[in-house]
Amino acid sequence: MMTFLINVENWEWSDIYIITAVGYSVVFLVLVLLIYVYKLLPVILSLSKRKSSSSGPVRVKGEKIMPVPGEVNAAIGMSLLMYFNEQHEDESNVITIKRVARNYSPWNSKIYGLRNVLSR
Amino acid sequence: MRKFVTVFTLLSLLTLLSMVVGQGNLLAAVQDSGAGESSLMNALQIFWNYTGFSSVNPQYLIMIVVGLFFIYLAIKYNYEPLLLIPIGTGIIIGNIPITEGFQIGIYEEGSVLSYLYFGVTQGIYPPLIFLGIGAMTDFSSLISNPKLMLLGAAAQIGVFGTFIGAMALGFEIHEAGAISIIGGADGPTAIFASAKLAPHLIGSIAIAAYSYMALVPVIQPPIMNLLITKKEKLIRMKPPRSVSKLEKILFPLIGLLLTLFISPSALPLLGMLFFGNILKESGVTNRLAETARTSMIDIITILLGLTVGASTQAFRLVTDPITGEMINKGFLTTSSIKIFVLGAISFAVATAGGLLFAKLMNVFVKKEDRINPLIGAAGVSAVPDSARVVQHEGLKADPTNHLLMHAMAPNVSGVIGSAVAAGIMMSFLM
Repeated sequence: MMTFLINVENWEWSDIYIITAVGYSVVFLVLVLLIYVYKLLPVILSLSKRKSSSSGPVRVKGEKIMPVPGEVNAAIGMSLLMYFNEQHEDESNVITIKRVARNYSPWNSKIYGLRNVLSR
Repeated sequence: MRKFVTVFTLLSLLTLLSMVVGQGNLLAAVQDSGAGESSLMNALQIFWNYTGFSSVNPQYLIMIVVGLFFIYLAIKYNYEPLLLIPIGTGIIIGNIPITEGFQIGIYEEGSVLSYLYFGVTQGIYPPLIFLGIGAMTDFSSLISNPKLMLLGAAAQIGVFGTFIGAMALGFEIHEAGAISIIGGADGPTAIFASAKLAPHLIGSIAIAAYSYMALVPVIQPPIMNLLITKKEKLIRMKPPRSVSKLEKILFPLIGLLLTLFISPSALPLLGMLFFGNILKESGVTNRLAETARTSMIDIITILLGLTVGASTQAFRLVTDPITGEMINKGFLTTSSIKIFVLGAISFAVATAGGLLFAKLMNVFVKKEDRINPLIGAAGVSAVPDSARVVQHEGLKADPTNHLLMHAMAPNVSGVIGSAVAAGIMMSFLM
């Protein structure tokens, strides 16, 4: 048997304020929990990555990891795109027109399309 | 001779009509009265009674004008056309005066519209819409700056403020709970909650929620200008960090477990939202994700919009189960007007809540981590319209300050927040 926080049939104003306060707090609680989990997530992931890649490049002590801003990423991406697009200008200079050989067929024969001159 | 032909043609037409509507009454009525001029007039009278013109009243006409106005808003001003066109057309369909008993109207058992409306009354469509939203939403901005989720929570003050307001206006407690979700600015969630808490108010609540969602570009900017100073509007935020694929995959899984263990009543909505996101981010179910975010959400939007619109019958007499009296349960009642007023206030309160909370957050963070308070307005979950409004207002203050990506974080957390709020409301009141 479920028990309810308030009596929905004979409610009082204090019940309404309780629902409001508890409800709003729970919404905050859920989202604050999510915030903490997602803040911890990159830390946990980088820890596990560091463990698995201990034989990787040695980092100098005291070296700071500089985050790359989005604009710089976008600029790098754009310049790479433009570079690869411009590579198209460098042609191979080989003409690639294929010679198409048509097989003979009475349907495409020219002779049947011309009026034959009658000869006696 | 001409008279005979006319009578014969009319009788044939009426016979055909009676066959079409599946009733023998019409033909019997004509046959009983005998052939001739009197029977012709009689038949015409009966035919007239079956048309919509005989039972039209000003209330229906008002609603038809409302429907036409929705269509006008969508076409002329491009306000949420994907919603307003189906809803507007639905309002016109729902307010054509019909003769009861022919299984035509949305509230008549066995009619086609009633079957389509079943998805609304049983809360089937909203979770499917959430599936599509999950499959089309990129949560990267939220993952890169999780603290912006607080803005999505702060804006839910609209929900709880409306709850108190609805109680003060004399609504029954379940009705107040359903009406309060309009403050979450989330149409599917509002429909889902009202289907469970107050099914008789679905039409009014859905129309209010979707109308105000469409009017976000009109409602929000004045509140932003009122609460945010010119200097605050110029704040530039740090660009979001890049998010790894693994983080994107883990986001829906963790969100699903965490939110639903705390608020299981939101399971149909949040379960589907995160499921849609798993389809998108897993990278191995592209076909399913593509269907969910395109064809499926389009089909559900059509059905939902049309049937919600059609449910707004202006005038509907039903028998009160307690007193046995005939009461009007139609759309044009004082309670609908109250719901519309509450909806407008709740939207304004939710927007103000988000903006003020963003200002408050700036007090506690370092100068370089400050957030532009405009993005607080995106905490109301009208995705992605409120984020677009934030971007627009930000560009007005500084044409090089792009806030869209930052605003998407509180925007999608607003979706989660409003679904959680609806779940809490249902668990308290059901």
